[in-house]
Amino acid sequence: MTVPLEYFVIVAAALFMTGAVGFLIRRNLLVLLMSIELMLNAVNLTLVAFNRQHVGGHAGQIFTFFIIAIAAAEAAVGLAIVLAFFRLRSTVRSDDADLLRN
Amino acid sequence: MNAGLFLGLSPLLVVSLGGLLLMVAEAFSKRRVDETSDDRDAGPSSELSLGTAVTLLAGAVFAAAIWFVGPENLEGASLVAPWVIVDRFTLFFSFVLCLGGALAALLAGGYLPEHRLDRGEFYPLIIFSTVGAMILAAAGDLLSLFLGLETMSLGVYAMVGFRRASLRSTEAAVKYFLLGSFAAALLLYGGALLYGATGHTDLAGIREAIANAQPGKGPNFALVITAAVLIIVGLAFKVSAVPFHMWTPDAYEGAPTPTTTYMAVAVKCAAFATMLRVLVGAFGEGGLESWAAGWPPVVALLAVLTMTVANLVAGQQESVKRMLAYSSIAHAGYVLVGVVATMRAGGDAQGSVMFYLLTYTVSTVGAFGALILMGSRGAEAVSYEDLAGVGKRHPAAGFAFSLFLLSLAGVPPTAGFFGKLYIVKASIGAGLYPLAIILLLNSVISAYYYLRVMVYMYMREPAPGAPIAKPMRSGYVATALVVAGVLVLVLGLWPTTSLQIAVEAALATR
Repeated sequence: MTVPLEYFVIVAAALFMTGAVGFLIRRNLLVLLMSIELMLNAVNLTLVAFNRQHVGGHAGQIFTFFIIAIAAAEAAVGLAIVLAFFRLRSTVRSDDADLLRN
Repeated sequence: MNAGLFLGLSPLLVVSLGGLLLMVAEAFSKRRVDETSDDRDAGPSSELSLGTAVTLLAGAVFAAAIWFVGPENLEGASLVAPWVIVDRFTLFFSFVLCLGGALAALLAGGYLPEHRLDRGEFYPLIIFSTVGAMILAAAGDLLSLFLGLETMSLGVYAMVGFRRASLRSTEAAVKYFLLGSFAAALLLYGGALLYGATGHTDLAGIREAIANAQPGKGPNFALVITAAVLIIVGLAFKVSAVPFHMWTPDAYEGAPTPTTTYMAVAVKCAAFATMLRVLVGAFGEGGLESWAAGWPPVVALLAVLTMTVANLVAGQQESVKRMLAYSSIAHAGYVLVGVVATMRAGGDAQGSVMFYLLTYTVSTVGAFGALILMGSRGAEAVSYEDLAGVGKRHPAAGFAFSLFLLSLAGVPPTAGFFGKLYIVKASIGAGLYPLAIILLLNSVISAYYYLRVMVYMYMREPAPGAPIAKPMRSGYVATALVVAGVLVLVLGLWPTTSLQIAVEAALATR
């Protein structure tokens, strides 16, 4: 018995929504970074799942490797920026990033 | 060895190689900043700024050279397609991106030492971001599109937060990074759904699958629509279209001004290049009848919102830098009008979009460059008050700023006038009269805040006791302004040749 494709896609969609909603409602910069990672992992899951449907190529799986690598680079830059912010402001709450406004 | 392939990729290769060499040169250079010294020529900028500009201009020259050879005559250049497509569209954008990057590097050469930011990392970041932007413009596959996008963005995130000791700069970087990577994730999820629906990651394959769609067995309707929405939202973030523009004024204001310049020109042009490739290329089949081509009304709505909101808010700003940020959002709105027209009017309209991006690049570099020139150590010119009377005390700097502002406002005989004219012509040609009228009304509104700067420069005097702006002395900034100024006038006086080139480049994608 194999698990149908839809199950994977729905789980991935739920993960993506969790990440997106988390990004929009949470106020901690580190949690926001984690939410973005969650969204990228949902994309990975979607790609790998769909790859099973589109046999004859491995575009989906190859794509996933690139996303993993880029996500690592992005996390490095992101953490560096959050660290720089923490050093100056001694907080990681996004509400405290309020210097620039109209 | 395949000579055609190497020649076809030479703009990318030259710029990448130059970036690597400069990075090594910077690491072994004896030039280090002495924070206490007043000597502005002692730091790494004095060597690297010129090297970066030369590297990027070399990329532009190679792109122009291949244009004359004809990319279709290069055998083997199609070996890397669809990941990197070497066509006239790519070459046009490579040229514009390299030009914008080179001018921004020259501005940095004056700005960074003046404001005690003279660290060499800035220049490799500009170069590698430009490499990413060029890949983005050349990408015919979602994979390379994503790689180009991230290569470009990661460099720019670091450039925005370059002034580490400043809370404003760091805060700008936080905001830009979070919203930028959120947008990239949306775009990516759209791409993954598109792959699921069509089985392709290359834009040509996606286009074909959508065009051959049949009810019941073709690609899944719901998946393609969801993917299209996610991709449009992701791209709208990148070109900063209202209502996805919240990060733009903050990031532009907080970032060091050369970074702002780079974001306003190169990042925006590359995002529009990929928007044209994706919307017109992948979702463009079958015109408005096709169910997957329902994007033009959505983009038209974005265009109207972007132009109107940005222009109304720009007039209320007290900071010139923030006003220019809103102005760049408004210009994105004008370009979006052209993107909508492209769907109906075809190559000519797309040519007008690309011509507009060229004129916008030179005018914007000039405007930000003039703003940089107006400030000096400890007294960066930011607000309207800072500019009071500066046009009378320093006529050359005042003249330069006025020229670029007039071009942004679209006054003849500057480049900006013809950029707007062709977009309006294209939208009328496509029968989009309401959009053309809204665009014209908006450009009248925009004249208010551009002219306000000139009023302050020529007709006001600084308030008693207020700090008096003293323009910096920098050969690099002056050079960049002269180059941009000449281009603004040349494009304004002889627009037809470059428009023809842009149209020819646009036709390559069809």
